[in-house]
Amino acid sequence: MRKTLFLTAALGLTMGVGTAAMADSPWTGGDNLPTSPLACDNTPGAAAAMPYDGGAVTGAPDLKGKPIKVVDVPKLIGIGYFNATSKGIADAAKELGNVDAKTDGPTQANIDQQVSFLDNYITSGVNGILFAANDPVAIAPVLKKALSKGIHVVGYDANSQPDAREWFVNQAQFNGIGKALVDDMAKEIGEDGAFAIVTSTFTTPNQARWIAEMAAYQAKCHPKMKWLETVEAQEDNNLSFNQATTLINKYDDELKGIFGMTSVATPASAEAVTQANMCGKIAVVGLATPNAMKPYVAKDCVKSVVLWNPVDLGYAAMYVLRAVVDGDLKPGAKSVKAGKLGELQIINGSEVLLGAPTTFTKENIGNFDF
Amino acid sequence: MTLVLNRMLRHEVILGVLLVAALIVLAGQSEHFWTADNLLNQGRLMAEVGLIALPMTFVIVTGGIDLSVGSIFGLSAILLGVFWQNMGLPLPVAMVAAILVGGIAGLGNGFIITRFKVPPLIATLATLALYRGLAEGISQARSVRGYPDWFFGLGQGEVLGVPSQLWIMIVCFVIAAFILGLTTFGRTTYAIGSNEVAARFSGLKVDRAKLLIYGASGLIAGLAAVIFVSRVSTTRSDMGTGLELDVITAVVLGGTSIFGGRGTVIGTGLGLILMQALKNGLALSGVKGDGTIVVIGAVLIAAILIGNLLSRDGD
Repeated sequence: MRKTLFLTAALGLTMGVGTAAMADSPWTGGDNLPTSPLACDNTPGAAAAMPYDGGAVTGAPDLKGKPIKVVDVPKLIGIGYFNATSKGIADAAKELGNVDAKTDGPTQANIDQQVSFLDNYITSGVNGILFAANDPVAIAPVLKKALSKGIHVVGYDANSQPDAREWFVNQAQFNGIGKALVDDMAKEIGEDGAFAIVTSTFTTPNQARWIAEMAAYQAKCHPKMKWLETVEAQEDNNLSFNQATTLINKYDDELKGIFGMTSVATPASAEAVTQANMCGKIAVVGLATPNAMKPYVAKDCVKSVVLWNPVDLGYAAMYVLRAVVDGDLKPGAKSVKAGKLGELQIINGSEVLLGAPTTFTKENIGNFDF
Repeated sequence: MTLVLNRMLRHEVILGVLLVAALIVLAGQSEHFWTADNLLNQGRLMAEVGLIALPMTFVIVTGGIDLSVGSIFGLSAILLGVFWQNMGLPLPVAMVAAILVGGIAGLGNGFIITRFKVPPLIATLATLALYRGLAEGISQARSVRGYPDWFFGLGQGEVLGVPSQLWIMIVCFVIAAFILGLTTFGRTTYAIGSNEVAARFSGLKVDRAKLLIYGASGLIAGLAAVIFVSRVSTTRSDMGTGLELDVITAVVLGGTSIFGGRGTVIGTGLGLILMQALKNGLALSGVKGDGTIVVIGAVLIAAILIGNLLSRDGD
């Protein structure tokens, strides 16, 4: 009896503490870095000129025009998004003709494994590394090691600390994505609608940054919208679906919209809304690849999907790396040539901007296949 | 006595032969494999898993399992950052406190297992979720960065040309091997795993031993977490996710029986090195990540099959 009482008390205490720790912290899932929300109308943000803040490679052999070996280590392998960037890299390597590129990485978005992969490739002696970081700081030591061994390092999709790589190909500026998503949502659910977010994990750098920018932009331009909750769903299809379903049941009529922050969460949320027969009552806005969203857009369950073209992203990253190896892209440059994409602009000191994000709608989504 | 020892050593001998064969093959595949630089670096990479595998050997020898080590690892890592940055403790104090929290979390496991007779698999499955949840809740999923330079000496520095954490692992390895192989406590551990009821009736302090073992498991997970934070220079609440599987793989590959009563620290060491050598060597010789996992799985099954066949002969 005493034992049972004690056990119940202990369990109650744990749950109490646990719930209290969760409840008194209405955290949004954003990070705590400074935000820079864009203007509410369509005035473009002013891009301040910054000096080069990337790292420097030491003792790299002169390989101008010579064949090079490149490894691409994305956050994880085996998902549509990174398959697309990997395809872009392979396309560019084929076009260039003097690059031997391969993609390898962990099967889960895990920083520890990603570091081990990079470490092994540094030892095996590649000439260049392309990466998409699982954590901007944790990946830095191993990238700096690569730089110190004469290996050129270019990031894409998810950045590291600037001094741990030479260049970073930025798919879209964070405040631009934040504005596009929140504006789309406000258009669909109105200025006083309530919404929730399905993200990957609270520590994923890109998602955390977007959410922080979304929060800042929403507070500035759509102050009456109500922020219900941000839930984690890894980048897992089933978990995303369950989390979205839970949100729909939990908030009932109050919930008017769901943001999907990953290419997995957005289609899964759309599926959850469809299965709950809430199409038209709950809007889904988010980042996703067009192929995954075509059925929902066709059924009018989802009006607009925002994303850059990941194939172009990988393609640009490969061209940037080749330009660095060849000495064509040096600190202080204003732009860089990237094959069929033309001249890409340099921003924020050491970032190459891919361009504005694309919004896919019922009219144009059929033209894209990735 | 010698018979028992012989039987226990047999798996280690097989494993040793397997390891030497693997090293020779891998060295032939890539010129970068058998270099001091690479080998020391691999030592650095396997230190965290290696440290946690030592108390895990004890845990599995008692017939138990500890699935929560990865979560304790994450909790200690995040608390190191919270103690230091949010509560303003000096970093050395925060390091000790974070390790102690790991120990307390481990004692919590031991308490649930011994006091409420919950099977270790269930108890630590529950705390796997509980400790990870605490880590995420406490940290608010924010990373803590900006540690002073001296702190990185632990995870990125060297002493006498050998990575710092490798020294720590070697010291812990010798201590663990001594305790399990040559002390009364070690004998008690085997006795619990062979027949817990008999051990109890023989007057052995079964519950106390288990409590200490699970406590040590948490404590070492905390230590490994501090080393890991120093190696990657940041804390995140999702650190160490899935770590328990690597640790258990190394221990089981090392010949420790999942049913308890059999296993050595030397075996765990060999299992750990074999696993790391395969991961590294295959990657260097151009095998992709997914292929490497397949090979490790196959080696694990092969090692256990051989072990089973031989131990049946021995009986």
